[in-house]
Amino acid sequence: MAAKEERVVDHIETYARPQTVDEAIRLRQKWEDAARFVGGGVDLALYTPPSVRALIDLSGLGISSIRAEDGDLRIGATVTITELMEDDSIAAVLDGLIVEGMRSVASPLLRNLATVGGSLVSRHPWSDVIPLFLVLDAEVSVRQAAARWIPLASFLEEREAWADGLVLEARIPAAAPGSAAAFEKFSRTEFDVAMLNCAGFAARSSDGRCAGVRIAVGGTPRLAARVERVEAALIGEALDEDAIDSAARLAAKEVAVGDDRRASASYRRRLVEVGVRRVLTRIAAGRGGEER
Amino acid sequence: MMAITLVIDGVRRSFEVAPSEKLLDVLRRLGYTGVKKGCGSGDCGACAVLLDGRAVNSCLVFAAKADGCEIVTIEGISHGEALHPVQEAFLDEGAVQCGYCTPGMVIAAVDLLSRHPDPTEEEVREGISGNLCRCTGYKKQVRAILRAATRMRGDRDG
Repeated sequence: MAAKEERVVDHIETYARPQTVDEAIRLRQKWEDAARFVGGGVDLALYTPPSVRALIDLSGLGISSIRAEDGDLRIGATVTITELMEDDSIAAVLDGLIVEGMRSVASPLLRNLATVGGSLVSRHPWSDVIPLFLVLDAEVSVRQAAARWIPLASFLEEREAWADGLVLEARIPAAAPGSAAAFEKFSRTEFDVAMLNCAGFAARSSDGRCAGVRIAVGGTPRLAARVERVEAALIGEALDEDAIDSAARLAAKEVAVGDDRRASASYRRRLVEVGVRRVLTRIAAGRGGEER
Repeated sequence: MMAITLVIDGVRRSFEVAPSEKLLDVLRRLGYTGVKKGCGSGDCGACAVLLDGRAVNSCLVFAAKADGCEIVTIEGISHGEALHPVQEAFLDEGAVQCGYCTPGMVIAAVDLLSRHPDPTEEEVREGISGNLCRCTGYKKQVRAILRAATRMRGDRDG
């Protein structure tokens, strides 16, 4: 216990609670890289880098609502994972896909704190939010000098470019009728983060063939990313057993996997195949969300 | 140091905290030792409190973030001498052994039942999935929470 007490961080000089986005941006500019935005604060409470001297709390900015606009769903950055799960418009997305996916995130105690914005900004390789939002074709609104919309994949990749930006909200476009999606998480325990996770989405034409496909795999153990070759291979295919099997095998070849303390690369390679097969099988059955 | 005001177990209190301090450490410093410190990293749930009605790991909340919020600790769950139905059910089912996880477990259960008054066993297990107990194997807590739910819905036979 004594060792833990000594870890108390005292390099943090200020905890600011701005009431406007402009004020938050000004504070970020003033403190430069010594500042961090605090959504739920979970990651920063666990570890604040020694270079950080100012925490800028986002809870006063009014970016905590979920609303429908022009067919899109707009999710404020400080919406908690619990709030996301309890929202009716979110529950209606692809047969409850998001709610089912979020149910596997940590525990209710943590989901009451962790925010959607924080989940995207943290870029945790094992994040369940990121692969789900990638296959939902999400964009994020990032405010620097001005606010602009960026595809989530670009935001994740261009880490340095957006480092000083404030994520205000995420936007999920409406899926075409007949679309289906699914999510699969593999973890050592119910509470633990993913050894590997997999999300898939398919829009199908009237003959049942895939007109649009998005598949993302995370926890490889690198950050989740789309598997574009598998997506391309599925275009024009009916999701029958053969097509699903070849896609799953191709995914196992395409996705780069590695070792860490949670799983070996060879085990992960197997999980990629199983995950993609399960996700596509559920999509073929027309059911979104994770089976439990 | 910075001044913050919290309503803790129904009592408004103002005091100074360091910008980096966690709610858990502040509560214990103020004497709310019913809030337990286990892992300090959001894994065990012993430090759970209700923050504006929602159960959270107080070890992962900056105290400054909670400024202006209402906190309920295990010590504010009962009404005077009258135990909360969840506490009562924990006693009836023998769901307490060493007791270290109990405050957090009760807090998590109170939050769960406020949202799901009629939970399934699976929902109860999910509801306390952020609370570790090394004594009981969870069976008795799950039974207790289901029993509390029945009682709170008005069925005293629960």
